[in-house]
Amino acid sequence: MDSHFLARRIHSLTGIVPVGLFLVYHLYLQLYLHSGAEVYNKVINGFYDSPLAIWALVIVVYIPLFFHAFFGIRLIFESSVQPSYTYFSHLLFWLQRISGIGVLLFIIAHVWNAQLGPWIAGTWGTHFEHLSSGFSDPDSGMITKAVYLLGTLGAVFHFSNGLNTFCMTWGIALTPKSQIRVRIFSIFLFFILAASALYALSAIW
Amino acid sequence: MTDTVTFKIKRQDSKSSSSYWETFTIPYVPNSNVISCLMDIQANPINAKGEEVTPVVWESNCLEEVCGTCTMVINGKVRQSCSALVDQLEKPIKLEPMSKFPLVRDLVVDRTRMFSALKKVQAWVNADGYHDLGPGGRLSQEHQETAYKLSECMTCGCCVEACPQYSSGNNFLGAAAISQSRLFNMHPTAKNMAGERLDTLMQEGGIADCGNAQNCVEACPKSIPLTESIAEMGRQVSDKLWHNIFKA
Repeated sequence: MDSHFLARRIHSLTGIVPVGLFLVYHLYLQLYLHSGAEVYNKVINGFYDSPLAIWALVIVVYIPLFFHAFFGIRLIFESSVQPSYTYFSHLLFWLQRISGIGVLLFIIAHVWNAQLGPWIAGTWGTHFEHLSSGFSDPDSGMITKAVYLLGTLGAVFHFSNGLNTFCMTWGIALTPKSQIRVRIFSIFLFFILAASALYALSAIW
Repeated sequence: MTDTVTFKIKRQDSKSSSSYWETFTIPYVPNSNVISCLMDIQANPINAKGEEVTPVVWESNCLEEVCGTCTMVINGKVRQSCSALVDQLEKPIKLEPMSKFPLVRDLVVDRTRMFSALKKVQAWVNADGYHDLGPGGRLSQEHQETAYKLSECMTCGCCVEACPQYSSGNNFLGAAAISQSRLFNMHPTAKNMAGERLDTLMQEGGIADCGNAQNCVEACPKSIPLTESIAEMGRQVSDKLWHNIFKA
């Protein structure tokens, strides 16, 4: 057992636990956008009121996410393009890599827009107003909406497909039949999470 | 005018020279395969411009898709040329050597890396002497069926040629060797070395380098369930990882 093997396995694991689970929790919280500004701000500020909030974010989200992202970028350069083999799994293989880069760029923009920006500007606390004014901005609103739409769908795809490959990597789905079952489950998961994300976004569209 | 078949062949005179495409047009023979056409070109090595050239070099042996020697890239996809029937191929037929191995000449490549991978995973039944070990244990029908399918691997190179993770820049063992480590880890005698095989799979170039593109299982001419083997070995190394962390 060497460090490369361990790093690959930690990369595989961090995509599901904790980063993937955080994504599901995060998408769940965003459904509160439909409950209006007051409730949404209360829910989000309630999370940050915890004295452990910032530590939980750093340890549970940021550090695993950074490892997953930067090790993942390294992995992309290990792959070579095989354009004549047009199989569905092979397409997913490349979509997983492309969506990984897209989602990383989205997360950087998203953290700046929703977390660091308001913090620095001193407008922290009015999350709903900040998000909805960003979406309805006459100049940059369309771009912000497009970035959020692509970013959330990319994240949901990357997680759902990642869960599918996770089950192969760790030897959970062994036979071709069980691998198809897991793939069908991951496709369902994609549509459920995508619907949830789109519904949340529709509140401030 | 008689029917003809046109071949576009990617040629290279030596390891260090640069490659070039050469076109050959030969008389059509019903039921011919790529090897029989290469033999025709060898017998009469005149290219489409009418120039006499050196005959195209290729490797072949069994001519019944069990040895793996004649593997090449035909119309963009890797397969055995003996079982590539001219009647079923799109014309002109494009022949290229496999791209993942050191080139020797024309369509001949050096597949040593695949055999080194088999050595690394100890793809054999270990015996510690010549004395009579007596009859082996009885194996279930299910065990036999699984093992027989895995034993059909001929180390031809299709799985690694199609693999986006296998390249000359890394030392990935590839699907064939991972599948063979599964075959020998389930053998009643060879499984004594199971731990050592797993150690090899848990090193750089081992099973962790698989990216789940699953081209291997699509490309395998013997329909070996390679993704099942990779998942099974993934489970075995997961067990070993658990063991290393909590029990060792």
